[in-house]
Parts: sequence; C-alpha cells; structure tokens
Amino acid sequence: MSKHHVEMTINGRRHASDVEARVSLADFLRDDAGYTGVHVGCEHGVCGACTVMVDGKAVRSCLMLAVQADGSTVTTAEGLAAADGTLHPVQQAMLEEHALQCGFCTPGVVMTLAALTGDNSKPSEEQLLAAMSGHVCRCTGYQGIRRAAKKLAAAGDKV
Amino acid sequence: MKPAPFDYIAPATITEACSAIAEAGGGATVLAGGQTLMPLLNLRMSQPFIVVDINKIPELKGIARVNGGIRIGPMTRQCEVIESEVLARDLPVLVEAVRHVGHHQTRNRGTVGGSIALGEPAAELPATAVALGATIEARSIRGTRQIPATEFYLGPYMTSLEPDELVTGITFPDWPKGHTTLFNEVAQRPGDFALVGIVGALVIESGIISRVGLGWFGMGPTPINARSAEQMLRGKSLSEIDLQAVAERAVADTSPFDDHHASAEYRRTVGRRILARTLRDALKIREAA
Amino acid sequence: MSAATPLSDNHADTDAETRADKDTSTGITTGRYIGQRVRRKEDPRLLTGRGQFVDDISLPGMLHVAFARSAIARGNILSINTTLARDVPGVHAVYTQQDLASYKVAMLTFFLSPPDVETTPLANGRVVYVGEPVALIIADTRHIAEDAASLVEVEYAEEDPVITIADARRGPPVHPSMSDNINAQMGDEEIDVALDAKLKSAPHLITHKVVHQRISQSPMETRGVVASPEGKEELTLYITCQSPHMVARWTSLALGLPQTAIRVIAKDVGGGFGLKNHPWKEEVAAILAALKFGRPLKWIEDRYENLIGANQAREQEMVLQVAFDADGKLIASHGDYSVNVGAFPQLSECNIAVHMFVWAAYHMPAYGFLTRGWYSNTVGYAAYRGPWAMESLIRETALDVAARRIGIDPIEIRRRNLVTLKDQPTTSCMGIPREDITPAECLEKLLGCFDVAAFRKEQAAARKNGRYLGLGIAAYIEPTGSAGAIGTMTGELAQVRIEPTGKVTATMSTHSQGHGTATTMAQIFADRLGVSYEDVTVFEGDSSRGGFSPGAAGSRQGVIAGGAAIVAADLLATKVKTLAAHLCNVRVDAIRIEDGMVHVSGAPDKSRTLRSIAEIAYGEPDKLPPGFEAGLEAQHRYQPPPMTFASAANACVVEVNADTGFVKILRWISSEDCGTPINPAVVEGQIAGGLAQAIGTVLLEEMSFDSRGNPTTATYKDYLLPLISDVPVFEFVHANTPSKSVGGMRGVGEGGAIIGPPTLVNAIADALAPFGEVPVELPLTPAKLLSVIEKRDIAAHAKPEAIKAIADTGSQVAAPQTVLTPVVETAAPAAAVVDGDWKMVLSTPVGPQEMKGHFETKGQELSGYLSAAEGQQGFTGTVEGNRVKFDLKVEKPMKITLKYDLVVEGNKISGKVKMGIFGSAKLAGERL
Repeated sequence: MSKHHVEMTINGRRHASDVEARVSLADFLRDDAGYTGVHVGCEHGVCGACTVMVDGKAVRSCLMLAVQADGSTVTTAEGLAAADGTLHPVQQAMLEEHALQCGFCTPGVVMTLAALTGDNSKPSEEQLLAAMSGHVCRCTGYQGIRRAAKKLAAAGDKV
Repeated sequence: MKPAPFDYIAPATITEACSAIAEAGGGATVLAGGQTLMPLLNLRMSQPFIVVDINKIPELKGIARVNGGIRIGPMTRQCEVIESEVLARDLPVLVEAVRHVGHHQTRNRGTVGGSIALGEPAAELPATAVALGATIEARSIRGTRQIPATEFYLGPYMTSLEPDELVTGITFPDWPKGHTTLFNEVAQRPGDFALVGIVGALVIESGIISRVGLGWFGMGPTPINARSAEQMLRGKSLSEIDLQAVAERAVADTSPFDDHHASAEYRRTVGRRILARTLRDALKIREAA
Repeated sequence: MSAATPLSDNHADTDAETRADKDTSTGITTGRYIGQRVRRKEDPRLLTGRGQFVDDISLPGMLHVAFARSAIARGNILSINTTLARDVPGVHAVYTQQDLASYKVAMLTFFLSPPDVETTPLANGRVVYVGEPVALIIADTRHIAEDAASLVEVEYAEEDPVITIADARRGPPVHPSMSDNINAQMGDEEIDVALDAKLKSAPHLITHKVVHQRISQSPMETRGVVASPEGKEELTLYITCQSPHMVARWTSLALGLPQTAIRVIAKDVGGGFGLKNHPWKEEVAAILAALKFGRPLKWIEDRYENLIGANQAREQEMVLQVAFDADGKLIASHGDYSVNVGAFPQLSECNIAVHMFVWAAYHMPAYGFLTRGWYSNTVGYAAYRGPWAMESLIRETALDVAARRIGIDPIEIRRRNLVTLKDQPTTSCMGIPREDITPAECLEKLLGCFDVAAFRKEQAAARKNGRYLGLGIAAYIEPTGSAGAIGTMTGELAQVRIEPTGKVTATMSTHSQGHGTATTMAQIFADRLGVSYEDVTVFEGDSSRGGFSPGAAGSRQGVIAGGAAIVAADLLATKVKTLAAHLCNVRVDAIRIEDGMVHVSGAPDKSRTLRSIAEIAYGEPDKLPPGFEAGLEAQHRYQPPPMTFASAANACVVEVNADTGFVKILRWISSEDCGTPINPAVVEGQIAGGLAQAIGTVLLEEMSFDSRGNPTTATYKDYLLPLISDVPVFEFVHANTPSKSVGGMRGVGEGGAIIGPPTLVNAIADALAPFGEVPVELPLTPAKLLSVIEKRDIAAHAKPEAIKAIADTGSQVAAPQTVLTPVVETAAPAAAVVDGDWKMVLSTPVGPQEMKGHFETKGQELSGYLSAAEGQQGFTGTVEGNRVKFDLKVEKPMKITLKYDLVVEGNKISGKVKMGIFGSAKLAGERL
C-alpha cells in the first residue's frame, strides 16, 4: 500500500502532507486539512454533498483520490467568504432565499453554484438548475435553491 | 465505504503505463476519470493491487483530425467534448450523447475513454461508438491493435480488451457535413442510466438514405447495433420507409433485462416507440429542409 | 388560467419591518418578527462550512469503529473467527456480543418500553436480517477497521428467510420466542356483524387496496456517534439525533446507567425524519465498546450501511371498505391493515394511529378494523415522517375511486362528507375530538385559487390530442403537538435571560435537524421581549442545557416550544417592566420595551437601555423592589393541550406521458392551516420538504429485497431520491387559523409527507381515468402506469428459477427451543385453575404493559385486582370453567372500559382485551 507526498493549495493556503493512496480527496480535506465543511453523503458520487472546486471546476471529492489533487488548487465552502466575513454572492443568495435547512447538502450546492458563476462566467438559470440535478437535498424540496439560482443568473445578467 | 489498500502510480507516458499494467499480471486497474471506478473501489467491489492513474499522460489527451475521421484521446474529459468546436461541427451526435452522461460535476472529471472502456450496457458513449462505427485503439507491451466498436463489447462490463491492454484512442469515421443525428434517451432522472436509449446517424442524398448507423443502449447486455433495422433503411427513399416495421425489427434484435428500474417488456415497448418517433422527427426535418 | 400558471410569487424578505397586526379575518397575530420571513441564524455558519455534525468531532485518543455484518437473512451463528481481523496492524480490538454480554442492555422503544423480543446490540448466536451487525472492530482509522471487518469469518447454519408480509403470515417465526410473526395486533379478527351488514347493504361499496413500498428515511447525514467515557459515571455522546435529551434519557435507561452523568451533544444534524429518535444497535454497540475499551470511539455509518442496516419504514398493505349512500354520503367503513416491521422494530407497531385518524376529518358513523404488524427477516421498522400516513393515502384515493364509480365530482364528494367548522365540536367514531379543524375551509380556500372548470376543459381538449392531464386533490387533518398521553411526549422548557450586557440568551429543549428552531424561537423572544432579533441567541442541542423533551418527533416543536418561549419571554418582560417601573417610580403599565430600550410613557427623557436595567438587576440588589428575585431570568415548561390539529388541502396537476408512463408535475398548491406561522419561510420549507419526500414515495423510491432477503437497493444508483427536476415549485396558500395553544401555532413538520402522496396519486389516477383505475401499488413506476394505459402487464419480470416455497422450510429448520406450546393439564375444579397470582403482559400500541393479576373465585363469581407501575385497580367478573371475564374502567389514555376475556390453561393464561374504540389487544401470562 503506497503512501505519497502531496502538496496542494486549499482555500488559498499551501497544504503539504503524506497520504495513503486510497484516501479520497474528501477524507483528506476533512481529516488532514481540517476542512470539515466538505461533507460525505454517499461515497459513490450521487449525492453531491462532497462537491468542491478543483482548479476552478466543481468535482465530487469522494470520487477523487487525494493523491490526484497534488499540485492542484482546491476551494471548499470555507474558502469562499471574504476575510472580513462578507459572504460570497452564492452564499448570500442562498441565505436570502432560505435555500437550506439542515445544511448537510449545502456546502456542495454552494460549490457548484460558485464554480459556475465564478470567473465572470454568466450561466443562465437553466444551466444552473441543470447543474443542481447533481445534488440531492432531503430537506428543502429545492425551493430556495431554485430561487437562489434564479437570483444568481439575474445578477450575472446585470454585470 | 473505504477502499481496500492498493498501490498507486501515475506514469507520464503510455509506455510506462503499459509496463505497469503488464507487471501487475491482472492485478492492475486503470484510473481515468474515476467517476465509475471510485465507487467500485469504495464499495470494495474492485480490489486491485495497483491503480494505474493515466491522468498525467499528455499523449492520451486531445481531439484531432486524422485521415477520414476524428481521433479522441481517452483522457478527453466529457466536459471538453461538450465545449469542443470541432466536435460540435463534425460529430454533433457525440456531443448530444455526452450531454446526457451523468451530471455537470461528473463530466468535469469523467472521460470518453473511461466510459468506452467500461462497457456499461445502459451508457450513452459505448452505444454511440457502436452506432457511428468507431474504432477503439488498444495498446499493451505486446503492441497496438484496432478494434471495431461493434466487436468491442462482449457483455455487461466485459470488453474484448485483454487484461494488459489500455485504450489509447477512439476514432470516429467522418460523417458528411449536414448529416442527420438521432438521439433519444428515456431516463427517470437526469444523469441516470437510460432505461432505454437510441443513438445514431443518417446520411440522406437525393431523398435516399445512403448511410445509416443505429445503436441501442439499455436494451441488452451490451450496446446493440441495430443492423437489421439499418438494412431496412439503407437505400430506401424517405417516402418508402415503414417506421413501425423498422422499429419492430430494431427491437427484435435486442435482449433487454428485467431489473430494479424497468422490465424487459417496458424497454421493448418504449424502445419501439422512441425509435419510431426519433426517426420520424429526424426525417421530417429532412423532408422540410 | 392554464393549469400550469402558478400564483404570483409573493415572497417578501423582511429583516426589520415593524408590523404588529392581528389579521381580523383569521385571528393570526403577527409582530415585528413573528410571522416574518426572517433570515435564519443557522445559515451563515452552515453556508460557510462551519457546521458541527457528528463526523466533524475529533477527540484526543479517539479510535474508529466499523462492523462486520451478516451476509444472510436468517440462521444460527455456528462460529465467529476474529483472529485474522485482530492481526491487522492498527486494529485495537474486535468485539462480538459475547464481549458485550456483561452489559445488560434493554433496547427500549421510543416510548421507553422494553422490546417485545430479545434484542442485543450485536447478533447473539443467531442472525435475522442481512446487514445485522455481528462484530465490532476498533482501529486507528476507519479504513483499517473496514479492512479488519472484511476478515471476520462467520459460519452460519443458513435458513430460508421470511421476507414479505405474505411470507410472514405463513412462514416460520422470525423470533424463536414467538409462536407466529405477529409483532402487534389490535382490532377484531372477525368483522363486526352489524358493521358488515352496513357495508354489504349500502347502495355503494368501494373495496380499495393500497400496497405501499418500503422507504428509507435516508437523511443526507447518516447515523453516527462519538462515545467518550470520561471517568467513572461520566459519559459524553456526540450523536446525530432528534433530541439530545431523549438520547440521554434513553441511554441511561437502556444501558442501566442511572448514576452516570450522560451528556449528549448534537449541534448540527443533517436530517432525521424519524430515523434518529434514539440510538439503536450499532450506536449502542459503539457506546458499550467505548465503555469497555476506555477510549473515545467514533462510528459513522456509511451510505451503504445506511441503506441496508438502518431501520426503515412504510412497507404496508391495507384494504379499506367504504360504504356510501345514494348521495355519496359516508355510511360505514372497515380497514384491514398490515405493516412489515422487520426483525427488530424500534417499537411495537400495528399503527393504530392509521385507524384513529383515517376518518377523523370526515363524518363517518361507523368504523371497524384489524391492524397487525408482522416480523420478517429484514432490517427493522423505525418511524418516518408521519408514520400513520397510510390513513390519508388510502382514504383520499378511495374517495376519488368512489367519486368516479358513483359519478360524483371528487370535490363534491368531499364537500358532502368533510367536517366543517360549523359542525364542531363533534367527536369522530374513533373518539377523536374535533373542535378546531379546518380541512374543509382549507379546501375552499384552495379552490379559490384554482379554476377547476377551466382545467377540466383543458383536460378534455388534451385527451383528444392523446395527452393525459390529471388533477388530484386531497384533504386531511394531522395530530400535532401531542403531549400528555404518552410519557415521553412531554411539554417543552424555555429558559431565557437578559445578560448583564443586555443581550438575550435562551436555552431551549428543542432540537433542529433543519427545523430552524434557533431562529424561530429567537423570533419569539425578540418579539415578546422587545429586543432586536440580532440580540437574541438561542442555544439548544446539548442535554446539559435546557430540560427534557423528545425534540423533533410528531410535529410538535413549533407548537409547544413556541408556547413555552412566549410564556417565558412574557415572564421576563414583566420582570424587566417591574424593575424599571420601580426604578422610575411609575406604574408597570407605563413601561414599554422596544428595540432593546426601556421607555416610560410620557417621559421620553427617562428612556434607558436594557443593559442598564440588567446591570442593576444582577449587580445592585439594594435597588431592587421588595420580593424581586435578583437577575433577569425566567423559565417556563409549557404543557399544551393534549392535541393540536393542523389541517390542509392540496391540489396538483400532472401530465402522464402515454408513450413512456413518465409523470410530469405541472403545478402544486398547498393550502395549509398551520396556525400562527412563526416564520413563513420555515413553515413553507417544512411543507415543501415533506411534499418532495411524498413525490419520491409515489414515483421513485423503493427499498427492495430478493427472495433470500438480500437488499437489492443498496446504493443511490438504485434507491432513487427526488432531484430538483422531480420537484415543482410549490405554491402556498396560508389558510391559517390560530390554535388553542399559547401563540396559536399548529405543527407542520410531517404534513407534506402525509398529504403529498394521495394528492399526487389522485392526479395520476385522474389523468389515466379514461383507461381504468390505477392500482395503488407504490411506487407508480413508468412501467406500472404504462400497464394501465395499455391494459396489459408491462411491469412484470419474467419468472426466473422457481422461488423455494416457504412451506418447505419447516422440515429444514431446527425446531426453535422456546416455542410456546399450550400446556394441557388434567382438568381441575375451576377454583384451583384460576385462583392465584399471575404475571401478565398486555400488547398495547405503546409497547408491552406488564402487570400482575390477582384472581379469587367463588363459584362463578370472580374478584381480584390488577396491579402495575401506575397503581392497583380492583375488578369483579365471572368465571365459567377456565374462562375468565371482567371489566376495568380506565381514564388514560382515554375514558374507556377494558373488557378482559381470558382462558387459563394450566399455568398459562391468555386471551383478549377489548379496548373500546381501540379494538382488541392480546394478553399472555403465566402463573406466579
């Protein structure tokens, strides 16, 4: 069983560690780097709770090995808000639209929306909603998530 | 659900990868996009000695024109297929098929090669390869060979790849500009495996179908090339086509499963319908044009 | 208005609007915060990934637990070899039930009654379901623990399992101590003759069957516990649960740890839905292992374990006969109900609540029932959002079937039979008092927002084009905020204080797994105290603070904790005003608290901060009025009325695709009376969540097993949860009337999951009415719907190898050791047979009730007493041969006369107890 040295940038900070090959990126972010905001809901890539950004793209961190993220830039929900605590526009929209209840699926939803609306991209409401089909929420019936997506798409139009 | 222990290497060249696979004597598994392999590892349904990660091999990437076709590197991410201008222009049905694979998030990592090499009978890409007449290149330390997609799939998750072979390219032959595309998938939720699906392409010249490729997914232990139906269409003028008869014949070539998601009879019933409807809609567009 | 046009979206997000209105038409109070869509306090933390769920807890010295689980559904364990497992580097211990046997554990039910069958944390010599935990591994990491688990070798003598209700009726007992597979039974095995006559002679008789699939609650956060023994008689549990207090109480009693200071902490929980009311096998095994091993242990259930090993719900069958007169008015009804409770149900369940509530919203003169829970070799039963939901599903779909059969509009048939406010107070035929229910009014309000006539036109036109639109309507009432009838369903405690800093801190016995109670209670405190919402912090989620409550169970927290918060806040406000009045030398009613400032009417210069008042209250006792308790603290435990009803009517429009059988939901309107909505966004969120689960129940979800009891839906690839594309935008019509509880709230947590399924099924049935009736066998998969359209069975699988007949297995199964066979002794004179003391157990819906019976006979006269924990009660009756009959009048849970009818055979006594409207319960016992 092989162990590997990995270095990656997580939420703007360099993180270096030694990790067993079989450890998922999700578990590595949680246990090694301390980002427990990455939630593990199914470990087979369906529920989306573990979604993070790797090199700007939304990916299921339970379906990546930590060792595969060596050299990458990773962002989790903990890394979105500004240093002064101002919420990221995605977080703000979800707060305003009551888009969460228990909060377990939430960081994953936040990361997909953040990845799609980042970097001056202007996704349509349809594109955001389509990407939301990669997330399972058992609490909200997706009502607030829909409203947040609508709000974010409209905000993109205004820019 | 944590994987059993395994060794891991991420070689930088195809040669290194093939050596590592051969050395493992059947105990290696190839990691491409990971969207299918990781769940299998997590569930301990797959317990390889070594995982050979091919993500770092530049030669496996890329979409390139070759003589008479387009060659797609196996490490081409599904999201790259959707964003490719070349494919949008030259192989739109492949782009359409990939849009239905999984979700946005899985397409960011999932690869063309991974899906092709897995051979899930209800998946879109193997059926597309079969329908369009693609060729799969397989390489090992013993050499390279080309396998027609129609001969590649042997059973559920069983392909004619030898244990020491790696898929190194998928080449789709050219279909003429303006060819008619066919795609219809019946799935309960977006991203689910299809209950039944049809994919293909047609070329119509002077009102006659001069070329046709049709493939089923979710209708048997492998993607199914609807050869008899193709025969019924090839050389026919649009007005002569009996869609119901073609659909009947196409379904007759299939052997769908009963499983938790649908019965075989459901698949046959709905398969017949969607093939007839998809052909009708595609040909109407042609007639109008 | 087209069917698909929604109502206008009227969400107004208000942070600081000042409104204090009482809507004169509804009597619902709103305030600056109460009734407003205030943003949740929990959200910034949860959105930035700073939640604290059980898997986020890490303690020094903590190790990890995994389980080796049974691969077969039924059989004796011949041997367990843990040698290889223990040798894996990083493994610290491997325990089997033998290693935990020194801990006497009673796996109590939610009502804290003992289980009906021996239930141990790990399998004890025998396994009774696939996935049953057999061994527990402690290791440095979860990875290593799983490596070791895969090396535990178990040898079984496998037996043929009993899987379905049908199997359970005829198959060998799942539990050797039982003589059959009935876990609980109430009602009459023979339908009452008079009732039967009413049914058979009615102008219209509908016999309606519902087959309901098994559901997994499947919260996004699975089960888990970190158990930390912290010294003799000190135990801390971090556990994902629905009430830390309930868990602490349950653990103390179940594990027999009366002296142990148990602290249960659950700050954030990712959904419960009934699964996490109290610990079960794995959690208890992990806790015991921690006590034995002496270090903190963490067990986090993975999703595969959750889908095969966490208790499940809803696998039921019911046949409802409903008789109507010529005008479609209800005459009589009978229900025959069965539920599959698996091998180890978390409570004795025959779902009596289904029968209590099936006709509670309607004028139904006569109802009889037989209701049974059946054991099987599958993972056991636990509560799931609205456990009695079958009552609404079967009734509302039966009403639509009747409407179609008789030729009455489905809305009209409801109008003719629903109990309206004008009809109240009235009592249902099952003894449910109806004083405060508004299902009819909710329906009328709903219809005011939906043009049914226009829809019917649209539907007719669509049918001509081969498109099948359908409209489904359902109405119901729901018992919420229940308290006082069952020991664990208590009131709620609110403790609130104004700190010396002027900030308001409250601790509640509430618990949120998404409910947002820290927000809604803060809204109440802020409103009633006159401070800003930002200045209120509500703490919950720790059994060391607040007082006992069962937490989130039975749609109760808004009602009960809301009432407690109101009273506690008012007590505290009075204290502030009393002190301020004293300090300013004015009357108490001249004092007003607003926005954290204390004002004196007519003297604006006397305004001062709440903080200044608080500083005096705590720190300057000389300034306090005589008799004034120092500080600014108040608490109240609110005991609400025994039951507070919520009512609702829902409508949905669907299109069923005739080619594929797929269902598309075009529109859904919820018209709900939830009393005072503390936060409409929270209320709508609860309803929407329940409705989404209903959609999953009707169209997608199904836990299934093969004939060997292997779960075949063990991942999310097969167990399909509703995604955003499956759930429409819901429209909400608030038809609120204040309840009689303090604050006027009504519970809303479970409602969507109860009224949702019949609304959707009715819409589908309406869409396909031209083809015939849709058999209500959930889920209504595309194949099943296509079968209705094409009038042939499209859904059936081809028959594979013949399934072994259960009847054959009798000879292969070793005879259970403790089968209850009647002991026939030589007949003795009646006196000798009956007289004496008996230890008896009555099987009630809240669990087995133990009692002692003392009988004395004199000829054919019987006298004696029954004594139980609650006390002793005498009776007189008759004896005939060895048959004993007597009556006992009781007050709890309701005023009924219990009629005992028992037979003595040697040293065994058994028979039935007729419990008034509750039907009959079984009694069994033996001579002391």
